Amino acid sequence: MWQLLILASRNLFRNARRTGLTMAAISVGLAMMIATINFQYGSYKELTTNAISQLAGHVVVQHPRWQDERESQYLVTDADTVATKLRATFPKAIVTQRVQVGGLLRSSSNSVGAGLAGYEPDQEAQISDLDDKLIDGEWLGSDDLRGIIIGTGMADSLDVKLNDKLVFMSQQKGEEMASRLFRVRGIFRTGSADLDGFVAVSHIDAARDLLGGKAVAHQVAVHLPDARTSEADARTAANALQRDDLFVGSWLDAIPEIYALIQVDRTSSDLMMAVIGFIVALGVLNTVLMSVLERTREFGTMMAVGMRRTSIAGLVLIEATVLGVFGSALGCVLGIGISYPLVNSGIDMSGYMGETMVTGGVAVSTLIMGAWDPNRMALYACLAVVFTILAAIPPAWRVTRMKPVDAMRHS
Amino acid sequence: MSIIASVSGLTRDYIQGTITVRALRGVDLSIQEGDFVALMGPSGSGKSTLLNLLGGLDEPSAGDVSIEGTSLTDMTEAQRSNLRRDRLGFIFQSYNLIPVLSAAENAEFVLLLQGVGPKERRERVFKTLADVGLAGMENRRPNELSGGQQQRVAVARAIAGKPALILADEPTANLDSETGNALLELMKKLNEKNGSTFVFATHDPKVMAVANRVIKLVDGKIISDERQ
Repeated sequence: MWQLLILASRNLFRNARRTGLTMAAISVGLAMMIATINFQYGSYKELTTNAISQLAGHVVVQHPRWQDERESQYLVTDADTVATKLRATFPKAIVTQRVQVGGLLRSSSNSVGAGLAGYEPDQEAQISDLDDKLIDGEWLGSDDLRGIIIGTGMADSLDVKLNDKLVFMSQQKGEEMASRLFRVRGIFRTGSADLDGFVAVSHIDAARDLLGGKAVAHQVAVHLPDARTSEADARTAANALQRDDLFVGSWLDAIPEIYALIQVDRTSSDLMMAVIGFIVALGVLNTVLMSVLERTREFGTMMAVGMRRTSIAGLVLIEATVLGVFGSALGCVLGIGISYPLVNSGIDMSGYMGETMVTGGVAVSTLIMGAWDPNRMALYACLAVVFTILAAIPPAWRVTRMKPVDAMRHS
Repeated sequence: MSIIASVSGLTRDYIQGTITVRALRGVDLSIQEGDFVALMGPSGSGKSTLLNLLGGLDEPSAGDVSIEGTSLTDMTEAQRSNLRRDRLGFIFQSYNLIPVLSAAENAEFVLLLQGVGPKERRERVFKTLADVGLAGMENRRPNELSGGQQQRVAVARAIAGKPALILADEPTANLDSETGNALLELMKKLNEKNGSTFVFATHDPKVMAVANRVIKLVDGKIISDERQ
C-alpha cells in the first residue's frame, strides 16, 4: 500500500502543470464554498439571535391559539406564576413577559395605527437591542407606567418629540374601547421603515391595563445561553409547568417561518454548491481520464508482469484521493483566508440598504458579519475528496476492462 | 528435461471490420526447461501472437496453452495474473519500464507483487542489477539510462522474480548492434548459469546464432523446428 501511494504521488508529478491546475480547481472551488458557508452562517446566526430576542425566546409559553390567530384575548393567565416557575427551572435564563396590543396612537396633531409592545423594561433591555437604537431620550424605567418609546417614523408622523403626550386607544373584549395617556420617553431608529413607523413600547402593566387584565401575558419568553438545546429546554419547561392549557415550545415552534427561511436559503445555496462541485468533478474526471489514456500502455506492462487490473484501478483511485486530499487541504487554507475578513470585519451594506433591513419580520444589521461554521467546513472538505474520488471511478472502471495485450498495443 | 510450456492446436483470429485475419493456424509446440528458443519469421507470421498467448496476455480463438502442466484456458484473469507474476517474465522491444520508478524500483516491482519481504527484495534487486551490469545505477530513472541500459533493467525485472519461463519480444530490435550483442550474451549467460528458459520472438539473426532451438513461422504455421 505504501509503495502504491509513492507510485501514485510520483504519477501525479509527471504532468505537474496539469496536476497543479486540477488541484487549483478543487481548492479554489472549495475555498469559495467555505467562504460562502461562513458568510451564510454569520447571517443565519444574527437572524436567529435577533428573531429569538425580538419575536420569541429560546423557549416560549403561550396560549395554544396565540401562535396562529394573534387575537388579544388569547392570554396566558397567571403569567407571573408561570414566570416565577420558569426562573426557578432555568436559574441562568432571562425570563420575560410580553403583551401586544393593536390600536391607534394619537397626538395633538395626528393619529397613526400602532402595535404597542408591553415589555418588562429591565428584562427586555438585556435581551433586545432596541434600547441601543435610541437616538433621543432613554429606555423605560422599571416602574414607568406612563412612558412610551416610539420610532423616528412614528415621531415624524405624529409630529411629537420627547415628553410630548400621546394617547393609545384600543378595543377591549366586546365593543368597549380602552385608552391610556403616555409621555414620549425615547425615540429609536432601527433604519427599518416598518419598525420605526409602527412599533411602540410601553411597560407591560400599562399594556395589561389596556387589555383589562392583571398578571396576564401573550407570551412568557425564556432566553437561554445556547439556542442548540432549545427543544430539550422546551420539554424541561413543559414538565416544570405541568399546564395543559398552555403551549410550551421552542423558538422553532414559535417562529417557524424564520427556521424555514434559513432552510430554504441553505438548500438553494447547497444546490448552487452542488453545481459548482459537479463542474469541478467534471474537470477532475477529464484530468484522470487523460492520465489513464496516456498510461494505457504502461498499465498493459503492469498487467503483463502480474499486477491485477483491480490493483491498477486502485492505483488510479489512490491518485485521485491524493489529488483530492491535497486539493481539499489547500482549499481549506484558502477558504479560511478568504473567510477571515468576513468573520472579523464583515461586509457593510449600509450604503445601499440603510443601517437595518427586515428579513422575515426581523430587524437585522446591514453590516453582515460572517461566523466560523467548522462542521460544515469539515463536511464540504470531505465532500471535495469524495467528489474527486467519484470522478475517478469511470476511468478506473475503464482500466478494469482492459486486456493486457490490447493495453500494450495502445499508442 | 521437463516441459515448461506447451501449446496444442493454437489458433488466433483477429476480426478487422468484416474481415477475419487468422494470425495462428493450429500451432503445436512444447518448450523444455533450459531451452533458449528463437521464434523466427517475417512480419505478420504470428511470432508475437504466439508469445502473447504463451504469456497469457491474450486468449486463443481455439486450442490450448499450458504452463508447467496447468492449462490457461480455464483460468480467470486473476489466476492468469498470478501465473504471470510468479512463473513468467517478460522483456519487450520498447523496454516498457515504468518511467517514475528508478532502475531498482522497476526491478523490484514484480517482487513487490509477489509479496517478498523488504530485506530480501533489496538483496535480490541489487544482485540482479549487478548480474546485468548495472551496479551503481540502481537509483537512476529510465530517462537517465541509455537504451541498452534500459533493456538491461527490463531483463533484471524479468528475472528478479525467478520465473520458469522468460518471453522476449524483439528485445534487441531497438538497440544498436554492439549493445544488442552484449544483451544477448547476457541472456545466454543467464540461460547457461541459472538454467533460465527463454523464448524470443525475433528477426535478429544473431539471436538465431546463439539459440539452441530455432522455430520458423510463416503465415501462422510452424514450418520448421530445429535444435542446434
